[in-house]
Amino acid sequence: MTTVPDNHPSRTVVRLDDVRKEYGDATALDGVRLEIRAGEAVAVMGPSGCGKSTLLNMVAGLDRPTSGTVQVHGQDLGALNETGLALFRRRHIGMIFQFFNLIDDLPALDNVALAAQLIGTSARQARRRALELLDELGVADRKDTYPAALSGGERQRVAVARALMNRPALLLADEPTGALDSRSGEQVMDLLIDLNQIGQTLLIVTHDPHLATRCASRLIEVADGRVARESAVEAAV
Amino acid sequence: MSAVWRASRAAVKRRRLQTFVIGLVVLCSTTTILLGLGLLAAASAPFDNAFAQQRGAHTVATFDASKVSSARLAATARRPGVEAAAGPFGQAVLEMPEDWLWMPAGSLSVVGRAEPDGPVDRIHLLEGRWATAPGEIVINWPIAGTPGRDTLGTELRPRGGPALTVVGFATSMSKTAGGWVSPEQMERLRPATRQMLYRFSDAATERELRAGLSTATARLPADSLVTAQTYLALKRAFAAQADAYVPFMTLFGVLGLLISVLIVGNVVSGAVVSGHRHIGVLKALGFTPNQVMAVYLTMVSVPAVIGCVLGTLIGNAATGPILRVAFAGIDTGGAEIGTSWWPSVLSLAGMPALVVVTALIPSVRAHRLPAAQAITAGSSPRTGRGLRVQRRLGGTRLPRAVSLGLGRPFARPGRSLLTMAAIVLGVTTVTLTTGLTSTLLAFVDDDGATRVRVEAAGGSTVGGDTARRLSDRQTEQRLRSLPGADRVTVRGLTRVSLAGHTEPVYANFYRGDTRDLAPHVVDGHWPDRAGQAAAGPAFLDQHGLSVGDRITVLLNGRQTPVTIVGRLSDGNAKALDSNWQTLRRLDSSFQAAEYTVRLTQGADVRKYVDAVRAADPALRPSVLRPDNTVATTVVGFSSVFTVLLTVVASLGVFNTVLLDIRERRRDLGMLKSIGMTPRQVMTMTMSSVAALGVVGGLLGIPLGIVAHRLVVDHVGVIVFPEFTKQVWHLPQLAALMLAGVTIAALGALIPARSAARLTIAKVLHNE
Ligand SMILES: Nc1ncnc2c1ncn2[C@@H]1O[C@H](COP(=O)(O)OP(=O)(O)O)[C@@H](O)[C@H]1O
Ligand SMILES: [Mg+2]
Repeated sequence: MTTVPDNHPSRTVVRLDDVRKEYGDATALDGVRLEIRAGEAVAVMGPSGCGKSTLLNMVAGLDRPTSGTVQVHGQDLGALNETGLALFRRRHIGMIFQFFNLIDDLPALDNVALAAQLIGTSARQARRRALELLDELGVADRKDTYPAALSGGERQRVAVARALMNRPALLLADEPTGALDSRSGEQVMDLLIDLNQIGQTLLIVTHDPHLATRCASRLIEVADGRVARESAVEAAV
Repeated sequence: MSAVWRASRAAVKRRRLQTFVIGLVVLCSTTTILLGLGLLAAASAPFDNAFAQQRGAHTVATFDASKVSSARLAATARRPGVEAAAGPFGQAVLEMPEDWLWMPAGSLSVVGRAEPDGPVDRIHLLEGRWATAPGEIVINWPIAGTPGRDTLGTELRPRGGPALTVVGFATSMSKTAGGWVSPEQMERLRPATRQMLYRFSDAATERELRAGLSTATARLPADSLVTAQTYLALKRAFAAQADAYVPFMTLFGVLGLLISVLIVGNVVSGAVVSGHRHIGVLKALGFTPNQVMAVYLTMVSVPAVIGCVLGTLIGNAATGPILRVAFAGIDTGGAEIGTSWWPSVLSLAGMPALVVVTALIPSVRAHRLPAAQAITAGSSPRTGRGLRVQRRLGGTRLPRAVSLGLGRPFARPGRSLLTMAAIVLGVTTVTLTTGLTSTLLAFVDDDGATRVRVEAAGGSTVGGDTARRLSDRQTEQRLRSLPGADRVTVRGLTRVSLAGHTEPVYANFYRGDTRDLAPHVVDGHWPDRAGQAAAGPAFLDQHGLSVGDRITVLLNGRQTPVTIVGRLSDGNAKALDSNWQTLRRLDSSFQAAEYTVRLTQGADVRKYVDAVRAADPALRPSVLRPDNTVATTVVGFSSVFTVLLTVVASLGVFNTVLLDIRERRRDLGMLKSIGMTPRQVMTMTMSSVAALGVVGGLLGIPLGIVAHRLVVDHVGVIVFPEFTKQVWHLPQLAALMLAGVTIAALGALIPARSAARLTIAKVLHNE
């Protein structure tokens, strides 16, 4: 695959130090420490409302911690302003959501191309690369279809393609199979495993232990905003 | 009902901003409309009320006393079509000296009447009592208030007539006389004419009035009728200034109404569309379709009613000062200019009704929406031209943020059209105002030259005790010879009577360089020979005159025929312009007291003024500023309206963008998650309305040009010369193009910034 960036295996891609996040009186994260090295596939698990999405958002720079530091790809996110964060994200991070978050008004191809076009890639080039990705993900024949007419699995593949457009160092997925039937879910998971196999660093949030153990090399269990347990997974597939 | 009320309250609370926008839009529009209506009401109602109260004369006819007897005149009261009649009353003209009751010298038309009451023209006594004995007179006081009780008992000494003591002040809406004396006193004055006052059964138009009068006077000698003055002319005179403002006030009112309808429709339908999920939930909770509709109607009615009430209050408060300007210097007589109640009632009932009707259409949609579809609304498959446009835009070389923005209007074509219409009307308003301002500035026509006005003490305009050292002619010569003088125009101002008209008028008799005055003639030519005159449209209208007509001018017991040879572009409703040769026929010794000196380019104004003072201490020079009250007023009003309507149009854009961002929070979150910078979000949002702004400008400018034409062609008291109407130039039009973009940008700025600052985590969390 053409999607994997130059990741050195021993390099730390994500480092969270004593990260706290409060929403008003509620504490979503409470002193989280976490380190992810290049090439790893880490699954974050835990019950609903325990802080998994919040953790992911911290790593993506979508939200700022109340205290503590977040470093991604050697960059302290706290040192960046909004624009800096956006520029950082578009270079180094790809994101997949539970509800796909595709733009309804654009066909699959343009949804994917968008990510490259935002950084100034010409429409032609962006569409060419988007088509390659859709092809690799097996949905090239759906390129002109609008999201509303795609199946859930197809939508998530398009979303994965979009996340990979700028060759991110880190791929974040928040319950990527949560809105899919089990068969489509499996397929998307397989896709992520394939990506990891060729070196893509992954951070996946899920509350499905089966999926987690299947695709991750490390499990992190979160409860009440704290890392409750960390464990290595013996053999992924 | 309480469930509906509770749900509505919750809905209003959740949509504070939208509720505020609806309220503000309704407020601005109500104020605008109320100003227009208030003026329209004031232009006719006060006159009509006072006229009806006094049983005013539909026609005041003056007959030659030597050609028809009183008995025959009295008999006309029984002719068909005559509803009521009063008279005949003897009528004579007195020549009043300088400064009688602070008024300039001139003619005073007096009528002999035994009592103020009667079947027609019940004269309203303001102060004192009626004149019953010889040597007594009651003075007509046409403006508000009276000169006070102390003035009663003043003795008037008309030239060549008996002394008369003022015993009362009175006012007549029919303007039948400048003063009244007892019939005995009148006989001693030997009246040359007699007055009949008629009310006709058909009196709606000039035509009916003419027909009524000719039926009434059919049996009288053909040349016995000297003149007739109708109440319609008086009514026109009453509203002359206000009439000038009515065309554009009405236009602004209509524009305001249209914009409000558009925006309220947009705001409300937006609320319904974005409330689809909310509607679904309500229905799932067991609300009936009618209840859902009621919730949505209540939701918009609350702010609409509040906005309307506040707008009515502000509108009424603002009408007062505007009426004062519009009716400044008008003889109001017994009429009280004030704010009428009906515009308030109309707006209080009409605006909320309009809002509710506008809201009804989208609410019906809410009524019909099936619950399941409502809950899942948003992910329904989309098709159509809009999508193709977005696709095409995505392939262009434009930065993606821009092309995404440009594609937005096509996603919601209905809403975009409404928004664009609001921008179009906004641009129309701005164009109209720009045009009006240019026209008025061209009209006021400052040629850049400095003018000095020199008034002489003892003249009719300046009272004073310094005697003139130089005569009128010497003064003119001296002013010409002083260094810096270019042209000197001399004006003799006096009050004269027109045969057949009871009310005296002012006459300006000019000599010297009258070249500066000639351009104001729009029809015919400047009166440059003896026996010629010109006047503004208001004067001509109110005296039933047009170019080519002949009148007889009286002054100091002498009279001369005068032909109207020109119509001026504007001018006092009570003044006509003529020349010195004509004045000489009436008064050979008249001394002018006002001189206007145009200085040469670069002349030293101070030096000139000092030289004038040195020449004769009785001369009072002052540097002239052009009098442009009408221009200032029109420009002032238009600017206020423009600001109001621009704000309203911007609010429309604001609301659209706000709704759009609300609906697309998830898209925005996603775009940010793939690295869209805040600036790109701004760019995207701004370009989504910029296109509407440009198109709005392209459509609004021609509409504004048409509206401008309509207004300048229909301002009654001013006839704009053609050159002042051609005000459009390319650079100016290019600047106007910016108006649409500005309105769009103003409205979009705040929501665009909030979109740029949107915290993505929050958006995604709330999904
Ligand atoms: N934007 C937010 N505003 C307020 N509270 C939030 C926000 N995001 C998350 N929370 C709260 O923080 C806690 C953790 O939420 P989240 O990270 O979404 O949980 P998870 O993804 O594990 O289900 C929850 O109690 C949630 O209500
Ligand atoms: Mg979550």
